[in-house]
Amino acid sequence: MITVRGLTRRFGPVTAIEGLDFELQKGEVVGFLGPNGAGKSTTMRILAGYLPASEGAAVVAGFDVLRQSMEVRRRIGYLPESVPLYAELRVEEMLEFQGRLHGLSRSERRQRIPRVLERAGIADRSRAIIGRLSRGQRQRVGFAVALLPDPQVLILDEPTSGLDPLQRLEIRKLLSELAQEHTVLLSSHILPEIEAVCPRVIILSHGRIAADGSKDELLQRLGGGSYVRVEAVVGPDVAGALRLLSSIRGAGEVRDRGRLGIHHVFDISCVEDLREDVGALAAARKWALRELSWRKPSLEQLFARIALDLPAEPDVAPAPAGDAPAPTAVSLEVQMPASAAAPGMRPLNPFEPARAPSSGAAPASEAAPPVNAPAPRVVYNLNPFDQGASRDLSRPKAIDEPPAQH
Amino acid sequence: MQGLWTIYRRELAGLFFSPLAWILLTIALFAHGYFFIVYLVSVTGRDLRAAMQLALAGDVFWWFMLLLPPLLTMRMISEEARSGVLEFLLTAPASDLAVILGKLLAATSFMGILWSSALVYGLLSQMLGVSPDWIPALSGVLGATLVSALFSSIGLVASALSSTPILAAFSAVVMNFIVIALPSLDALLKLPPGHWAKVALGHASVVSQYQSSFGIGVLDSKHLLFFVVWTAFFVFVATRLLEKRRWS
Repeated sequence: MITVRGLTRRFGPVTAIEGLDFELQKGEVVGFLGPNGAGKSTTMRILAGYLPASEGAAVVAGFDVLRQSMEVRRRIGYLPESVPLYAELRVEEMLEFQGRLHGLSRSERRQRIPRVLERAGIADRSRAIIGRLSRGQRQRVGFAVALLPDPQVLILDEPTSGLDPLQRLEIRKLLSELAQEHTVLLSSHILPEIEAVCPRVIILSHGRIAADGSKDELLQRLGGGSYVRVEAVVGPDVAGALRLLSSIRGAGEVRDRGRLGIHHVFDISCVEDLREDVGALAAARKWALRELSWRKPSLEQLFARIALDLPAEPDVAPAPAGDAPAPTAVSLEVQMPASAAAPGMRPLNPFEPARAPSSGAAPASEAAPPVNAPAPRVVYNLNPFDQGASRDLSRPKAIDEPPAQH
Repeated sequence: MQGLWTIYRRELAGLFFSPLAWILLTIALFAHGYFFIVYLVSVTGRDLRAAMQLALAGDVFWWFMLLLPPLLTMRMISEEARSGVLEFLLTAPASDLAVILGKLLAATSFMGILWSSALVYGLLSQMLGVSPDWIPALSGVLGATLVSALFSSIGLVASALSSTPILAAFSAVVMNFIVIALPSLDALLKLPPGHWAKVALGHASVVSQYQSSFGIGVLDSKHLLFFVVWTAFFVFVATRLLEKRRWS
C-alpha cells in the first residue's frame, strides 16, 4: 500500500530524513516512533503529498506521491499533528466541506457524516462550533474528517497527543477497529500507544530508520535476550549453585551478580520463562527465595537506547570509572546492567561491605573507606527550595551512620 | 477543477463569519452612500447621471480599491499557513490553482456585493421618478468587480509572501498603490509624446483603462482583457508562491 525508496528531504542545509526505505502491506498497522525531530512528521507530510521529497520516491495506494498527487490525495486520510480545522465552522459543516472536497454526493454525505461522527465519538457535539471545542474533542473531529472519504490509507501524525488517558484508550480501540479495513501509519513518541496498537514498529532516529520490525523481532535483534533473576540463599557453595542453575534445560549463560546480604543474585539468560524450573530447583535444594522474576527488555528501554545513541548491546555499555556519576541514561530508566556498574558504586547497599576498588579507579579511591568498613551513606539535598535558607548544596543533608559492626 | 466551487463557498462563508467583513461592509456602504449624496447634491449640481458615474469612478472609489481588497485577502493564506489549515487544504484533492482561485473569487464576490450597492441608489431614484443611465451603471459595477479581482489577486500574492496578516495587508496596499500610481511617472519624467515608455505607461494605467470603458458604459474587449490578463498573472504568481511554501 505504501512503498518508500531512498526518501530524502533536506531543508536548506538541514537533512530532515535521509534514505528511508520501507514498505507497508495492505491492512498493516505500523507505528512510527522516534524522538522529536527524528523526521516522523516530515515523512508523513511527504506521503500525504504536502511536501515534495528532495530525493527518492514514495508510492501510496499505487500512485506516485509527486507525479500523481491528486490520485494519492483522494485515497488517503491525513491527520496532521496540528489538527487543522476551520475554527469558525460547526463540526458538521467541517465534515460537509471535507465531503464536498472529496466529491461525495449529497446522499453519501448525509449517510456517512453521522457514521464517522459516531465512530469518532463526537456525535453529540455535531452542532458545536469547532473553535469552542476542547483539544481532545477537536482531535476527534480531526479523526472524523480524516475518516470521512473512507480512505484506503490513514496517515495519522500523533493522533493521541493532547488526550486524557481515557480518551487515549478510546482512540486506541478505534485504531484497532480501523486496522481491520485500512492501512494505517501512525506516529507517536508515546511508547505504550505504539506498543498497544501497532504490531509493527519503525523507529526513526536522526532521519534514518534505526529499526523496523515487530516488537518481538526488535527486542530480540536489538535489545538482547530476556533473563530470569533469582535471589536466593544458596549457602556457601556458590559455584555449585551456579552449576545447578546452568544445568536447567533451556538456560543459557548464568551470571553471578554477587551477594545482597545473605541472598545471592543470579541472572539466567533464557528465551522462555524458566521461573517454574528454577522454583522447583530451589524447592528441591531448600534455597530460601527472595526474588524470582522473568525480565524482558521493554520497547521503552530499546527506544531510549536508540534515541540516546547508546550501543545496541546493554552489556557493553561503558562502565563509569570509580565514583563518576552514572550516565544520564539511568535517569531515563534504561536499565543499566549490574556488570556495567563499577565496583566503587556498589556500597550503596549498606549491608554489603565495600569491595576494594579496582586498580583502574585508584585515584578515586583515596577517600574510600578501608576494605571492611561499611561506607556511611551520605545524602545531599538536591532541591534548593526544599529547606528554605539552607542552600549550600555541597553540605550533606543527612549522613546515615553505618550499622554497628559485630 | 475539483474543489474550486467548494473552496469558493467556504471562503465566502468564512468572510461573512468574521466580524471584519461585516465591519468593512458597513463602513464601505455608509461611505459609499454618503459620497453619493455629496456628489449628487453639491459636486454635480443634482445631476443623477454624473453622480452615479462618480460613485463608481471617483476618488473615493479608488481609495476603496486601494484599501479593501488587501483587508479581505490578508488572512487567506498567511493565517491559514499559521494555523495549519493550509496543510489540510493542500493535502485535500484540490489543486493549488483551485485553492487560489476559490479564495480570489470569494474576495471578488464580496467586493461585487459592495459595488452593486450603487445599483440600489439607481433603483431608488428610479422609484422616485428619475431614471438613471442604467448601462454605465451596470458596466461600472462589472468593471469595478474586475478591478477588485485584480487587486484581490495582488492581495493574495502579498498574503502568500507574508507570515502575518498585518504584513500581508500592508504590503498589498503598497503594491496596489504602485499599480494605481504607476502612470504618474509619466508626468514626473516629462517624457516626449510618442516615447515608448510614455505609451507603455499609458497602457499600464489601471485608472484610465477602467475610466475609458467601464466607467462610461463603453465596453471594449481590449479593456476587459487588460484586467483578466493581469489578474491571471497575479493568480499565477500566487499559485507558484503557494507551491514554493511546500519546498521550503
